[in-house]
Amino acid sequence: MTRAAQNLLLITIGAAVLWITLAGGEYLNYVKPGFGYLLVPAGAALIVLGAAGLRRDWRDEEAADPSGHDHDHGHDHGRGPGTAWLLCLPVLAIFLIAPPALGSFTAARDAGRAAPPPAPPGHGFRPLPRTGGPVAMTMGEFIGRSYLAQTGDASTLAGVPVRLTGFVTPRARGGWEITRLKMACCAGDAIPFPVIVRGLPSPPADAWVQVVGTWRPPASGRPATGVHELQGVSVQRIGKPRTPYE
Amino acid sequence: MIRMIDPAGPRTADEDLLPPLGWAPRRTPAPGARAVRTFGALAAVVVLGRLWAAPALGPRALDAWTTVFVAICVQALPFLVFGVALSAAITVFVPPSFWRRALPARPGAAVPVAGALGAVLPGCECASVPVAGGLMARGVAPAAALTFLLAAPAVNPVVLVATAVAFPGAPEMVAARFGASLLVAVLAGWTWALLGKNEWIRVPARPDPAGGGRAEAFRQAMRHDIMHAGGFLVVGALAAATISVALPAAWVAGVAGVPWAGVLTLAFLAVLMSICSEADAFVAAGLTQFSPTARLAFLVVGPMVDLKLIALQAGFFGRRFAVRFVPLTFVLAVGVSVAAGAVLL
Repeated sequence: MTRAAQNLLLITIGAAVLWITLAGGEYLNYVKPGFGYLLVPAGAALIVLGAAGLRRDWRDEEAADPSGHDHDHGHDHGRGPGTAWLLCLPVLAIFLIAPPALGSFTAARDAGRAAPPPAPPGHGFRPLPRTGGPVAMTMGEFIGRSYLAQTGDASTLAGVPVRLTGFVTPRARGGWEITRLKMACCAGDAIPFPVIVRGLPSPPADAWVQVVGTWRPPASGRPATGVHELQGVSVQRIGKPRTPYE
Repeated sequence: MIRMIDPAGPRTADEDLLPPLGWAPRRTPAPGARAVRTFGALAAVVVLGRLWAAPALGPRALDAWTTVFVAICVQALPFLVFGVALSAAITVFVPPSFWRRALPARPGAAVPVAGALGAVLPGCECASVPVAGGLMARGVAPAAALTFLLAAPAVNPVVLVATAVAFPGAPEMVAARFGASLLVAVLAGWTWALLGKNEWIRVPARPDPAGGGRAEAFRQAMRHDIMHAGGFLVVGALAAATISVALPAAWVAGVAGVPWAGVLTLAFLAVLMSICSEADAFVAAGLTQFSPTARLAFLVVGPMVDLKLIALQAGFFGRRFAVRFVPLTFVLAVGVSVAAGAVLL
């Protein structure tokens, strides 16, 4: 790999990083929002590095001895390894395939290793308002509250209308669940937050929806199983949210 | 930067930076035999792919695979860039004489100091191999240089911060990684000081870096490290995405359930995946089916033994070195991880 190719490759990668970060926020399909603050300087550094290399090479060429004398610079270790070409693969994938955020395929595949219920905040969950419209909450909060209700005082959640936002994952044995993927860092470690929706027809798989319903206690006598259910009242299709992960 | 003079004679400029040429052994087979082997491998991939991969592959699986692949590359890139910048700054701005003054003369005493130096100084594993060669060439005891080689990529601040980010709310994982890795590096150094023979190592001799401004040297070191590490990062992301999407969940869960099998599986996975130490914590965090001890083994083995490191070490110090040092490090890393996991996790 020649030096010019290496410098251009650095600029290409840097440009791709800046593109997914600054133009439209595609990076949110892959990593947590906070990564933007790391990606922008990293992309900029790559572009500066490549541009400085190109500038240096041009200068060297201009200054090169026309009599064809061997030049001091660049003949020592200028060539890069062939493996560096592999760095083109993620750039090609970003621009040619533009892979979408993970959806029901991953959620269904990981059935059985759903995320553990998130612990409530230090002071516990706030009591829910009993009047007014449905309470909007994250899937994580709902599952955390549902876990507490299953294992302890069911009255904290029972009967309160809530609104959940997520995508549709069909269940293997019929029915469907509303799902959101939780990631610790990047999409590679995403684990699902699923809630089974009862009493509503299933929208198509991977459709983003808002479901209004009430918490459904587990069948009597059954211990808490990590399965969380919602008695649906209404379902509404929505566009994909800007941050697809929780 | 640094040119290397091989005892067998000066090398040409293109190959001074070690085994990049496909990491192949120097003895090249006849072109015909090589083509037969390549196409044999291709035929095997085609047949196995048709049997196993084709029935399961759909557009949704491919989409998920691509997303995970891009995601691992994207989240690893900033850490790679910053790690490489720091490592370039150290190779360029820290004079070689510093190392001689910093390390005790006796190898046994120099080993822990070298381990501590590795803990302070950040360096990608791809960078630490040349640095260790340079240390040996400047008179540092091989055992101490090898300890630095193992410790620098495994326990440096960048890696520990990345680990803390990847395992939020689990500081014991960071502590276990730090302790176990440092212990492995020091034990390997002492073992080498005790049993190692100098003729096993081909110490690369090097002249001082050629002229040129420091900024220029910094730029070249950074570009060199990105180019050499980046390709392997992509390979690691490809492997990790494939494992994340293609490995049958039940199979992984079955292996993950057996404690010793999980540890060995992830230890070998770390060797095969060859992920940069700045990024491997994020992959380990995704392997949620495995026990914390198995994931610790992944984090301890990965920066010390993996395919690209084996290739780099064989290229730098000779094959006789690699066949002894690599198994030693692997066994130590697995053993210490199991012990540290039992105590801390």
